[in-house]
Amino acid sequence: MSRIRGVLALIAALLGVPGLAAAACPERDAWPTQDWRKATLPAGREPALQAFEEYAFTRVGKDEERKGVRTDAVVIIHRGRLVYERYARGFKAEHRHLGWSMSKSVTNALTALAVARGALSLDDSICKHVKATNEVACAITVRNLLEFGSGLDWKEGYENDSLQTSSVLAMLYGEGRRDMVGFITSHALRDKPGTSWEYSSGDTTLLAGVVGAAMKPRFGDGWEWKLLLEPVGARSMVLERDAKGTLVGSSLLHATPRDWAKLGFLFLNDGCWEGHRLFPEGWVADSVAVSEPLKHKRVDWDPGDVQGRQLWLNRRVPGLQDEKPWLDVPEDAYAMRGHWGQSVTIIPSLDMVVVRVSDDREKAFKLNTFLARAIALVEGTP
Amino acid sequence: MKRTLLVVLLGALLPALSACESGGWRTYDNNDLELVTVYTAKDACTCLFVMEREDEFCRAFVKANPSVAHLTIDREKKVVETSALLLWGARSRYVDERSGCVLDP
Repeated sequence: MSRIRGVLALIAALLGVPGLAAAACPERDAWPTQDWRKATLPAGREPALQAFEEYAFTRVGKDEERKGVRTDAVVIIHRGRLVYERYARGFKAEHRHLGWSMSKSVTNALTALAVARGALSLDDSICKHVKATNEVACAITVRNLLEFGSGLDWKEGYENDSLQTSSVLAMLYGEGRRDMVGFITSHALRDKPGTSWEYSSGDTTLLAGVVGAAMKPRFGDGWEWKLLLEPVGARSMVLERDAKGTLVGSSLLHATPRDWAKLGFLFLNDGCWEGHRLFPEGWVADSVAVSEPLKHKRVDWDPGDVQGRQLWLNRRVPGLQDEKPWLDVPEDAYAMRGHWGQSVTIIPSLDMVVVRVSDDREKAFKLNTFLARAIALVEGTP
Repeated sequence: MKRTLLVVLLGALLPALSACESGGWRTYDNNDLELVTVYTAKDACTCLFVMEREDEFCRAFVKANPSVAHLTIDREKKVVETSALLLWGARSRYVDERSGCVLDP
C-alpha cells in the first residue's frame, strides 16, 4: 500500500512542479453540484465498519451529562462518491450543523475568490478596504490575516477559560458584537505584523470584513452565493453576521454535512469546479503550506497545531513538530476544524473527504483515531 | 435562592476582581451574566431556526454553566429572548435563510 501511495505522491509532485504549463483543473466523471452520487463500500469491510462506528457513534452517560464522543453526523466521500453517511442525536441529512471554526476555511475560500476576481491582493493593507479603530492596525495585510500573523494583542479562549479576558467571547457576545471589525482593530499590536503566529478568531473575522468590503461594491449583496455557494451547490450554507453586516467568518457559518463535504471537495480539486477554476492557481498549495509566522514565533501554541492558511495540516515542522499531528493519517491530509469536534478532512492521496459534525463538550474524541478508522473503510480499493 | 444570590454577586464582582488579576491584559467591559444571556439568545436562535431542531433539543444545547438565563422562544416571529435576574437580557431574531440569526444591537 505504501508503494501505491508513494507512486501517487510522485505523480502529484510531478504535476505540481512550477514552470510546467498552467495547471489544468482536475477531471471528474461527476460533480456533486446537485447532490452526491453514491457508491457502496468495498466488499469485506464489515469489521472495519464496525470498528469505525464503535468509535464514532458509541455514547457514554446520559445525554444531558454531555460526556464522551458525541457525533451528530459523518459523511465520507471517496473518489467523488458518497460512500458512507450516518446521522445521530436526532440529526438528519437536511439539518444544517454549526461549523464554529470550520467557518475559517470558508473565509479562506471567499478570500481566494476576491483575489481571483482582482478585488484585493494579499499585500493590501487592511485599511485599503476597511477603517481601523486604531491606526496601528493599518500595518496588517490580507496575507498576515490568512496566516494568523496580524500581531494583534488578542486572547483566544472559550467557555472553559476566563470569560473576562477572552477576546473571542467579547467579540461574539460582548462589547464587540455590534461592530466586530471596529472591535478587532481597536486592539494594540503585540508584534510587528507577519512576525508571530497566534490562532485568532479576530484575524479571520477581520479578514471576512476586508473581503466583504472589497467584493460587495463590485458584485453586490449575495456575492458569496453568486460566486461560490451556488456554483458548488452548497445551497444550505448560512452566513451569520454582526449587527453591522460583517460576516462572522471565524465562527458562524452553518451547512448540512453533505454541503460541508462539497466545500472540502472544492479544496480537494485545487479550487476548481466542473472544469472552472474558482481559486487562483496555486492557492490551495499555498494554503496547505505551513504558515510562515508559525515558523518564527508562536503565541499560545500547542504541539500538534500545525496550520497553513485557515486550515490545519498534518505536516512535520523541523525543530518544532517532529511527528505528524495525526500519526496514522497520510501527511498530505489537511482539515477545517471547529469547536466541539467539527471537522472536514481532505486527504488528496486517497481522493477522500471526511466530514464529522458533533457536540463534543469533553476532549475525549481523537481525530487521528477517527480518521484512521475512516481510511480503513476504503483504503486499498483497486 | 441563596445560590442565585451568590451567582448575582459573583457576576457583579468577578469582572472587577479579574481586572485586578490580569496583569495588565486588556479586560472587556462585559460581565458573565451579560455573556450568558447574549450567548444563550444567539445560539438558541441558531439552533431553532438555522439548524431547525426542536425546542427541547435547543434548550439543552445552549445550557450554560451557571444556568441562569431564562429563555423565551417565539416560533411564530422567530425570536428568542433571554433574561437573567432583571438586569440582564438579550434578544436574537432570525433574519432569513441566508443570514440566519442576528443579535439586537
